[in-house]
Amino acid sequence: MIIVDDVHKRYMTDRGPGRWVLQGVNFVIPPKVSVGLIGGNGAGKSTLLRLIGGVDQPNRGKVERLSRVSWPMGLTPGFQPFLTGRQNVKFVCRIHGHEDHIEELVEFVKDFAEIGSSFEEPINTYSSGMKSRLAFGLSLAFDFDFYISDEVTSTGDAAFKQKASNAFKNLANRSSMIMVSHGESVLKEFCTAGIWLYQGKAHWFDDIDDALKAYKDTLPK
Amino acid sequence: MTDYSNHQPRSSWAITLSVWKALFLREAVTRITSSRIAWIWLFLEPIVHFAFMMFMMTVVHSRTIGGLDTAEWLIIGLMSFFMFKRVSAQTKNAIKVNMALYTYRQVQPIDTIFVRAYLEGFLGILLTIMLSVGAVLFGVDMVIDDPLMVMAAFLGLWLMGLGWGLMLSVLDFFLPDISKVVDMLSTPLYILSGVMMPIAAIPEPYRRWIELNPLAHGVEASRLGVSSFYHAMPGLDLAYLYKFAFAMIFFGLLLQRHYRFQLVAK
Repeated sequence: MIIVDDVHKRYMTDRGPGRWVLQGVNFVIPPKVSVGLIGGNGAGKSTLLRLIGGVDQPNRGKVERLSRVSWPMGLTPGFQPFLTGRQNVKFVCRIHGHEDHIEELVEFVKDFAEIGSSFEEPINTYSSGMKSRLAFGLSLAFDFDFYISDEVTSTGDAAFKQKASNAFKNLANRSSMIMVSHGESVLKEFCTAGIWLYQGKAHWFDDIDDALKAYKDTLPK
Repeated sequence: MTDYSNHQPRSSWAITLSVWKALFLREAVTRITSSRIAWIWLFLEPIVHFAFMMFMMTVVHSRTIGGLDTAEWLIIGLMSFFMFKRVSAQTKNAIKVNMALYTYRQVQPIDTIFVRAYLEGFLGILLTIMLSVGAVLFGVDMVIDDPLMVMAAFLGLWLMGLGWGLMLSVLDFFLPDISKVVDMLSTPLYILSGVMMPIAAIPEPYRRWIELNPLAHGVEASRLGVSSFYHAMPGLDLAYLYKFAFAMIFFGLLLQRHYRFQLVAK
């Protein structure tokens, strides 16, 4: 369960505090419910994901994570460019407290990413596709209750895309998702509920279709 | 994939400890292997300083300084100063360099500072021992009269470096221009800390000014620890260094605490 309670967020700019991106956002995500965040560009979707993931803190209000929540899975996680893929994967395993079965997890990521001997090479030799393969494999290695996903499914070449999509579906059966995507079909496939972000407020819909409909109604005809 | 159905949330300390351990390994490997000869630079910097100054001292025919063998005087002085210099330089950048890691909420900016300070301290001690052994092989008599005092001085300088890094990393983050000015102003510290000249030989009233610099107390105290016959600066007071260090750590922690959320967001 994730409780978002009266969350306000704005960012500091060089010219003082910026506009309020989120202004009094309240909702509770029950266990085993996958949610899609919907809203126009700049509505605060990524901001809200960062707050839920604990990367950033709200200016006011609080976010309570009563489940295991992943880091926001975007395109490039914190890879140290001088270190090899293996070393970077090990780092993430360690900070998540999986020192005991680290070998097992590293092998899993290696098998999934399918980048061959490059796994033992420094990250700065990787292509962007290889990086996202590794990142995607890494995000699947841990068992979270909630996966925070910021447009993850759209990475890699055609072969990998198929594999990633299958893995993602598998994941969605086991765990819940909190995701941002501009692909309507993706949202409908993975999410049951929807949150529509509009003018700094969040509106909860038990059915993703209603959320999409509410969003579309505000679009200029 | 592993199943942890009987998962218990980890305590804050358990998380912090595993983050420190992971960061330490990461930083250590990066520091030593970031370029093909990174580990050579690690040794070369103090050795070049030492060789250059040793050459200068030979030119002026000074075999001993304040009763200490010149080589020993230089090695101890340099390495104790480097305890501050390298720790402060590395910790100052710690927050900025590890920006990408804050994607993982387990990693906090302050963790990176502690880990870097620890790593640099560790490397500093290792280097000091290796240089001393090298000096002994070259026939320098490296006997230490009061090892505890040397350790206390090194620790004090290390703490200064940590305090400096805690404060400057925040300044560097928000006001990089001011931080550059501070960098510039602190360059003469090398000279003003008595690394390359005996403070006891400086006439009053200038010596009194130099004695205001806490680093000079650390550098001189480590030399006094090496030989109790060493003519250290008269106003030597190791407690002064510690007071300064703890004040800086206190303010540094205060800054880190106050800006802990802003430091992550950017």
